[in-house]
Amino acid sequence: MRNAALWFDRRFGLEEHTIAHYAWVIVAIAGVVQMVGAAIRMAFGVLIDPLVETFGWTPGSIGLAYALMSIVTALASPLGGYLGNRFGARRTMMAGTVLFFIGMMWTSQTQQIWELYVAYGIVFGISQALLLVPVVPAVASWFRRHLGLGTGIMMVSWSLGPALVVQVLAVLFENVGWSQAFVIVGVVGTGTLIFILLFFKNTPEDAGKTAYGTYKTDNPLMTSGNVFVSTQKEFQGFVYKTNAFWNLINIHFLGCVGHAVILVGIIPLGISKGLGPLTAAGVLTTISIVSVATRFGAPVLSERMSPKIVMFISFFGQGVGVFLLLTANSTLDFYIFAVVWAIPYGGEGTAFPVLIRKYFGHTPMGTTYGWQLLGAGLGMALGGVIPGIVFDITGTYTWAIILSAVFSLAGSIAILLLENTRRQLIPNWPEMEAKPTSGEVSSATIGSAEPGIAGGN
Amino acid sequence: MKSAVSSQAVESTTPNIDGFEIKRRPIVGFGLLMSSIIGSLAVLIYFGAWASSDRIENRALAAGVPESQAEGKWWEDGLMLACPLH
Repeated sequence: MRNAALWFDRRFGLEEHTIAHYAWVIVAIAGVVQMVGAAIRMAFGVLIDPLVETFGWTPGSIGLAYALMSIVTALASPLGGYLGNRFGARRTMMAGTVLFFIGMMWTSQTQQIWELYVAYGIVFGISQALLLVPVVPAVASWFRRHLGLGTGIMMVSWSLGPALVVQVLAVLFENVGWSQAFVIVGVVGTGTLIFILLFFKNTPEDAGKTAYGTYKTDNPLMTSGNVFVSTQKEFQGFVYKTNAFWNLINIHFLGCVGHAVILVGIIPLGISKGLGPLTAAGVLTTISIVSVATRFGAPVLSERMSPKIVMFISFFGQGVGVFLLLTANSTLDFYIFAVVWAIPYGGEGTAFPVLIRKYFGHTPMGTTYGWQLLGAGLGMALGGVIPGIVFDITGTYTWAIILSAVFSLAGSIAILLLENTRRQLIPNWPEMEAKPTSGEVSSATIGSAEPGIAGGN
Repeated sequence: MKSAVSSQAVESTTPNIDGFEIKRRPIVGFGLLMSSIIGSLAVLIYFGAWASSDRIENRALAAGVPESQAEGKWWEDGLMLACPLH
């Protein structure tokens, strides 16, 4: 049995892996931060009817708060990434937690529509950027190698978490009302964030450990001090001068327009084709569930082969797949679409950290990733309004589907124009002079002919 | 089981970037981004102006007045003005 396990590990290159490493704690914390941070954003649809009933506001004016929040989050994303690089992800996320609490409490006490815009649109929007942007680069810093695996696991929680929390919120809204639900989620969410952030460490060095995938022959990377700040500034200057930096913002934008059109429009489209509301909602749920596989698989594959190929296939599949909707008329058609389209859709956005690592090495990626999320956020906002406008004009969603395809396929062409991933575009991020002192190493390295993972459980 | 690595206890090496320079400007990447932004704005203006035109037409029909006499809202007029095709 042991021999079979060892053969399996060797066959699939798993001998370098161990679950006894603090990096997985960081991944788990990142998953919870994503879950709590994104919950209210994902549940906004549940909020509309109670606010209409309580205050008599129109759905359109309430929806403006969501649009404002999306845009504020997008615009604040580069700031969130910069603050994460400069002051550390933990402090930045703590600031985001404070704003999360203020935003939730204020929203729960809202009496005027402008208060909803400020509390939910601006305060909560900024908190989203401070919570959700720095966490991905922080996870990346915990993976010297195998970043694809870490990213993949984190992205799964990104998908499943909000789906779970939306159900909890729906029950709370039903039983205690929207205002109390916001108070409860605000208090529990803030408490949860504060508690888990106590265990969060910005870098392995902060925790006195080594990053996952560090070989015994590796020197530790520079992660703090005055030289760190000035070097980071210098390296970020190099990053800004690459085509990849700007094109990745563009690609993220195009991909997000492409899928936002479908995610926002699929339920009304299904209903317009005769599906019941629950059946139409089931299509969206199916997309969420099926996409989990490629959310995990895309970054893992990207590390083993070229991320450009994985991303091109994903964008191309996302673009071509939507044409199934042009002829979809029955429930079966819609569910076939959901399964077929969710596969490339899931892989479309999760390989970006791996691609950044390939191009820019171990340079702290907060600012770079923050700029990409600016593109993503604006793309989601644009994609979100397209179905409604198109339906108002034409009475069908045909043009919305075509536009979704055009944006995704344009993204796939932009991917082809990215630089080759075999060559790092800027110099290596500096290492420390001293090698890790021998210490103990994890069992995964003992007796291995290959360079092993330096310990750091 | 951990190795005792302290980032504070060791000095960093001088970054080996002496002489490294990116002389080319990121014309392709920046150009692609600008193209997408301009293209997206064009799509938004075109469909927005189309929707505005329809709304004004519907109001004119409901009021029983010619379309030219129906007043548009500021954003409808703005979109119609920005779109060369409407």
